[in-house]
Amino acid sequence: MISISGKKGFRFAFSFLSILLVILIAVPLLRMILSADPEVMRSTIADREVMASIFLTLRCALWATIACAILGIPLAYLLARWNFPGKSLVQGLVDIPVMIPHTAAGIALLMVYGRNFFLGKTLNEIGLDFVGTETGISLAMAYVSLPFLVNAAKDGFLAVDPKLERVARTLGASPWQAFFRVSIPLAWRSILSGSIMMWARGISEFGAVIILTYHPMTAPILIWERFQAYGLKYAKPVAVLLILLCLLIFALLRWLAEPKKEM
Amino acid sequence: MLRLVDISLKLGNFSLRNISFDVKQGEYVVLLGPTGTGKTVLLETIAGLYHPDSGNIYLKDLDVTRFPPETRHLGVVYQDYALFPHLTVYANIAFGLKLMGETDRDVRNAVSKMAHFLDIGHILNRRPRLLSGGERQRVALARALILRPYMLLLDEPLSALDRLTRDRLRRELKRIHGEIGVSILHITHDLSEAFFLADRLIIMKDGAVIQEGNPEDTLRQPGNRFVAELLGIENFIPAKIGPGGQVFLEGLGTSDPPLFSPEPGEKTDSIYLTIPGWAIDLFPDKENGSYLSQVNMRIVGLNRTEAYMEIELEHEHGARLSTTLSWREVTMLPTPIKFGKVIKIGLLKEGTYWVPGD
Repeated sequence: MISISGKKGFRFAFSFLSILLVILIAVPLLRMILSADPEVMRSTIADREVMASIFLTLRCALWATIACAILGIPLAYLLARWNFPGKSLVQGLVDIPVMIPHTAAGIALLMVYGRNFFLGKTLNEIGLDFVGTETGISLAMAYVSLPFLVNAAKDGFLAVDPKLERVARTLGASPWQAFFRVSIPLAWRSILSGSIMMWARGISEFGAVIILTYHPMTAPILIWERFQAYGLKYAKPVAVLLILLCLLIFALLRWLAEPKKEM
Repeated sequence: MLRLVDISLKLGNFSLRNISFDVKQGEYVVLLGPTGTGKTVLLETIAGLYHPDSGNIYLKDLDVTRFPPETRHLGVVYQDYALFPHLTVYANIAFGLKLMGETDRDVRNAVSKMAHFLDIGHILNRRPRLLSGGERQRVALARALILRPYMLLLDEPLSALDRLTRDRLRRELKRIHGEIGVSILHITHDLSEAFFLADRLIIMKDGAVIQEGNPEDTLRQPGNRFVAELLGIENFIPAKIGPGGQVFLEGLGTSDPPLFSPEPGEKTDSIYLTIPGWAIDLFPDKENGSYLSQVNMRIVGLNRTEAYMEIELEHEHGARLSTTLSWREVTMLPTPIKFGKVIKIGLLKEGTYWVPGD
């Protein structure tokens, strides 16, 4: 290999800084997982309350993701394709939930979906209760993590050449058919990876969820509660279990979303 | 087949102004114009992807101005072919038929027939990403043609290809047009492509049609200097109008006899004599009446390419002309041409035309 002068130093500096960061991320995770006592882990898995809260968390985050996909994919497409007055305002609004403190987001949600506001009251009357319910958990998760899905889907649509949609139209496709047969298949990797991100973000949500719904307890809240009440020794196994489960699921989903080798 | 009446459209930086023309059944019409003149927007408007601000589009005498693209039965092939990257070649070609709800068997038969016709049967299972430019073009054509469109709209279909492939594929386009007899509207900025393929030429500038006609007539009588330049005519001599209506060519001295104004009443404030290279006779040997004028000029440049020699000539009063000779013509000259030599040349009446400045 021809060595350009200074290249070695450049590569070394970048590698060094990158490795440093990777270590910063990995060490706490490894330390926690490696220090787990198999015996304690086994009893944690057998702990009904723990498993119930983990499944509750996965389920609520999944519902939140599905609901946001149905509403968020059209919004993402709109942002990617059309120009309309107030577009940058809408784009800014979509980004807000990731930027504000999540406890504040939870309080804002409580003020709208709680029973003291007409919307919350009306929804409550038709059977949709957001305080202290799974619906409430999903709502809180959705609110704070939807930007991941919308932005990823938008980037996915932006990468689809609009000419492909136009050609589809000239080949007899209605706007719906062009969307489902061309735009969606070409953007689906971005949409899927955005959904995974959103789901992951939903699972880990603590601040907004705890304001709306303390019980039933999601896993992050359970971890926090055990830490508060019994200390590190009791909180840790639940945390380890949650991390392992999440890693497993996301590795699997990432693998599914990876571009496969084509002919 | 297709008739545009007074189409106007403003779209971002592009605008189309009062465009009217028609394409007859089975005709190959080439829309020629420089890049950035709104040709693609016009094509997409015909396809129904944009609605014109005013004017009407008729297809088979039906006013389709407000019809959505999927109901117009027009095949579009873009410069980069816009093949669906997530689908195989087979699925690309089958796309339209599947939307129509044809059975798998019918689709398979139709695709294999079309693939045979365009000689792409061996790549049906591949992805567009892995195809050569020429193959992509055939797939795009197959995808459009399989639906038996009323017309094909081709947007610079040869521009993205290397020269050899381009030469091969323009013969191929001619063959397809000949065999299927489909009407074609082909837009390009490439002159030789236009002449190679066109039954009729339409010339566009700044969003408006400025001339139309068959290629030969257009080349003989360009409507103005812009068209003449677009058509590759090399020489323009500005002219002055004398008191008696005679025309004097600038930089060629006073012609003897003075040249007469071509058309009385024509716009004369800015007028040019266009002289295609082939209308310059280096050793005039025809009778005097064949020539507009005969003048002495000095050879000030001899430039070679692999196919021809370009000869630059200069008059003592400053006018410059250039012409090209094939190598064969060079060997057949009565006396060899040398740099710096003064020779008498004749400007053939046939081929020289007066055009307004713009």
